[in-house]
Amino acid sequence: MVSNSLLTVKDLKVEFDTYGGIVQAVRGVSFDVKPGKTLAIVGESGCGKSVTVQSVMGLIPMPPGRITDGQAVMHGLDGQDVDILGRKTINGQDIRGDKIGMIFQDPMTSLNPTMNIGNQISETLIVHRGMSKKDAFQRAIELLELAKIPEPDKRASQYPFEFSGGMLQRAMIAMAIACEPEILIADEPTTALDVTIQAQILDLLVDLQKENGMSIILITHDLGVVARMADEVLVMYAGQVVEHGSVDDIFYRSGHPYTLGLRQAMPTNDQNAARKLTPIDGSPPDLFNPPPGCGYCARCPHAMQVCQDNPPPVVDLGDGHWGRCWLHHADNPNHVEAIHSTHGGGSSD
Amino acid sequence: MGRYALKRLLQGVITVWFIATATFFGMHAVPGDPLAADKAMTETIRANLEAKYGLDQPLHIQYAIYLKNLVQGDFGISYTQENREVNDIIQEHFPVSATLGILAVVFAALGGILWGALTALYRNRLPDTIIMFLVILGISVPSFVVAALGQLSLVSANNLTGISILPVGGWGTIWHMIVPSMVLGLSTMAYLTRLMRSSMLEIVSSDFVRTARAKGVPATQIFTRHQLRNAILPVITVLGPQIAVITTGGFVVEIVFAIPGLGRYFVQAVQQLDYTVIMGTTVFYGAFLVFMVILVDFIYSLIDPRVRLE
Amino acid sequence: MAQTQTQPQQLDFTPIQQTEEIQGISRPSLSYWQDAWIRLKTNRRALISLYIIIGLLLFTFLGPLVWQVDPAQQDVNQISQAPFADRTVTLVKDYTPWNPTVYPQNGIEWEDTPNTEIVRLKWSPLEGADQYRIYRNVYPIGPERSLGLPLFEISADQTWSEDRLDLKPSTYYYTVVALDGQGRETDLYHEIEVELTRAITLTEARNRGLVAQGENAEIGTQFKYDLHPLGTDYLGRDMLARLMHGARVSLFIGFFAPLLYVLFGVVYGSTAGFLGGATDQVLMRSADFVVALPFLLFMILFKIVFGIGPGESGITPMLIAMVVLLWPSTARLVRGQILQIREEGYISASTLLGAKTNYLIMRHMIPNTMGVILVTVTFAVPSAIFTEAFLSFIGMGVAPPTPSWGSMCNEGIKTMLSTPHELIFPALLISITVLAFNLLGDGLRDALDARMRNRE
Repeated sequence: MVSNSLLTVKDLKVEFDTYGGIVQAVRGVSFDVKPGKTLAIVGESGCGKSVTVQSVMGLIPMPPGRITDGQAVMHGLDGQDVDILGRKTINGQDIRGDKIGMIFQDPMTSLNPTMNIGNQISETLIVHRGMSKKDAFQRAIELLELAKIPEPDKRASQYPFEFSGGMLQRAMIAMAIACEPEILIADEPTTALDVTIQAQILDLLVDLQKENGMSIILITHDLGVVARMADEVLVMYAGQVVEHGSVDDIFYRSGHPYTLGLRQAMPTNDQNAARKLTPIDGSPPDLFNPPPGCGYCARCPHAMQVCQDNPPPVVDLGDGHWGRCWLHHADNPNHVEAIHSTHGGGSSD
Repeated sequence: MGRYALKRLLQGVITVWFIATATFFGMHAVPGDPLAADKAMTETIRANLEAKYGLDQPLHIQYAIYLKNLVQGDFGISYTQENREVNDIIQEHFPVSATLGILAVVFAALGGILWGALTALYRNRLPDTIIMFLVILGISVPSFVVAALGQLSLVSANNLTGISILPVGGWGTIWHMIVPSMVLGLSTMAYLTRLMRSSMLEIVSSDFVRTARAKGVPATQIFTRHQLRNAILPVITVLGPQIAVITTGGFVVEIVFAIPGLGRYFVQAVQQLDYTVIMGTTVFYGAFLVFMVILVDFIYSLIDPRVRLE
Repeated sequence: MAQTQTQPQQLDFTPIQQTEEIQGISRPSLSYWQDAWIRLKTNRRALISLYIIIGLLLFTFLGPLVWQVDPAQQDVNQISQAPFADRTVTLVKDYTPWNPTVYPQNGIEWEDTPNTEIVRLKWSPLEGADQYRIYRNVYPIGPERSLGLPLFEISADQTWSEDRLDLKPSTYYYTVVALDGQGRETDLYHEIEVELTRAITLTEARNRGLVAQGENAEIGTQFKYDLHPLGTDYLGRDMLARLMHGARVSLFIGFFAPLLYVLFGVVYGSTAGFLGGATDQVLMRSADFVVALPFLLFMILFKIVFGIGPGESGITPMLIAMVVLLWPSTARLVRGQILQIREEGYISASTLLGAKTNYLIMRHMIPNTMGVILVTVTFAVPSAIFTEAFLSFIGMGVAPPTPSWGSMCNEGIKTMLSTPHELIFPALLISITVLAFNLLGDGLRDALDARMRNRE
């Protein structure tokens, strides 16, 4: 893999035991996180994007969860490359909260209701930096200020229920960046917030990234957020990555019908493109028993006989852009380079 | 905080007044003249009572006298024991019941929290299964049976070893208190264990615990600072009503273990239809329980900032 | 990126026509109650509990038809009889005065076969005895020499004695202690272990109809006493029959009190929740007061106030008291549910579509609160049974002679050490019933509460 990346995840597979059987939530996901860049993971609910990052962080409950295969190598950790998957501590140190910070979808429930904000931020500093309680609290106030919370010294001694959702997410961000992590994982950070607050939070993340030079893994189902934030995009469907590429690749040269479907389901403010929003019909396959072929086959407007029983190949579309689809296969008589048109159909540009 | 306290106290006073009134009119609805009951009542007591309660007066004046006496903390004179004031009886016997009750509550609360947390951590594994089986038994066996079994096992333990390990009944030393308070606290402990377990399970899978783990906080610290503190809240909420359960459960335990507490005295008074003692102890117990609930609410507000700061 | 799998031989790149069926995953749709029932059926503990409850109902209502023994009937021959005890009784001759002629050389022995009608002991004189004191113990005389019950004292010229005092068919330990001139016990004694057989005299047997009047029966004939499968209580009443009849009282209160007060609570709570505003405020404030009343104290008070007239069992006052004191918790719960449901989107949607109030109540409110109410009732049953038992235990419940499990426990606890079965059976039944209802309640809650669906 590329040597200049911070974190390399290779062939990650995660299962969950449930009432109905074993759910194969993540089925071989690989990606790289490059320093100072933002990697967006996109996909609809239940496609395994949260499970992927939570597995890397060691946050999935085990049992019922189980990481069956894969690696997550953190590069340059004490001058070494270390596989952090399934390990709580590296050299006695927890990398969680230190090298990797994380923020979650619902700030209202993601903070301890009986502990004040300042103490919750201090906790990280005390654990990882060995600060005294007083120093840590002082630093927490600075962090709150950094997260652009007004009156941070007063706010620090308040409790989560006294905060609004947007303010809480800022506090969460302050907490996540307390130890100046190299990677910040943002798991749908704006989903629970209203639109104006969303923009502010995203701006804050961009600003912090500029200042700290940290990498961000951004999980979202909102293509608008992707367009605004991401350098690279990973499109996930049914526990697999179906397409990977730069933002431009994804938006202008979509290499997979699913990516295209997502784009067509997204509203634009382009008045010339007088068109209806097109939903993707049907629902994702049952991950208790994933189909032998392409998971998207049943919903795909371009589906072919081959898609039903044969797992699609990964096809390089050039310059780090690749897709997992039979359409690009060399043997396909209707072989296409990219199916990026927003007007449906598999025609070339 | 101050306003909250004041409001709760005022509510408590009104509730006690309600209890006192209900008790008064309840007792006066007893068919026939309570004094004319076939009790061996001496002339002295009768004269005292008539003078004190104005029993020849209309009901509303009697009620006024009753309330006035209550406010002054005077519960009246026993019908069956000459010149014995209800206050004396309460003063003599309540400390015994209170000691027993407090020990039982402490035992139940500590045990419930401990076992509940333990079963949640060992969820669906052997310790969980065993403890939860015992818990469901503890909830399903009536208090007097537990008391009887407790005494029976004491007797057989003493018989087996040939020495008196712990006294079988009576009161006085700390040794007398151990088994009765455990017996008394048992069902509450079982109930609290269940509650603590489910609350703990909810907390374990909650978002903020996940956040704490993502922060890299060590497991023990997550347990003490994040899980325990939040999981205890529902346990504390029910502690108030559970104190009432323990108080009345104390009646039975006091009877079985021959403990000279107010509960046993109350049951005796009820069986002898000693009206003033019944009324006095009912109001006293009522007031006690109401203020216990308030006390528990205060403790709750100390732990949960959401209540404290409203 | 490399190809991830081997090339198939023949790849078919012809497009497929998408049809409707492939698009969705179809799972059978189930109604709320069907779903709940399926979930309950998979909960083994709840299902077993359900069978136990059905069994208890059969025991209560069909039991008395099978076991037709009057629960009030006293069997004076068998007082506090343990279950499955030996019921044989031997006919012995009527009492005739006794004057032994032959005495043991040294020691003590019995004459005739010792039985529950009479124990005859005779012994060799003890040196220097002025009087004899005879003790009887039901336990072996240990090293600490507890001799038991002193029966009588006789002068030293009589070296025999008869014991006819309340004998039970078990083993007794007799001690004859010599007393000196001042009536003090000396170190000299005889002791003997005597095993008694159950016996009845001819006259008694005639009186009790074991032997027909005027007929004669041979001494030594063996009869069988009436069968009491679970033994008898301290008045010789059949435990099984009493348990069956006691179950009626306990289960009657256990079912009806919760039904009545939950019903009242539902009506009250839904009225408050539905009307809202000032009415709601007033209704719920008054409910708060009732909640604050210490429940068991007021139950006791109620019993005193309503009293128990002669011939009454005291069940009605208990029912009334429970209904009056216990409705508020259900009322609060239902009100909360109604308020919550009122705010739900589907109610607004239904209203927008022109649904009338009646329709809303019938179609949305009731089905959505039914689950909670059902669970409440299930958990209320054991607490009502407990309450009855508690009150009966402290003598404030069902009036004797009507049996209830609680009052049977109350009676049984007095003889707990000697005849534990009188306590164990009713206590066991209470515990099993309460256990079954608790487990069923757990199962129902898990099955009905949508919030719990994804747990465990």
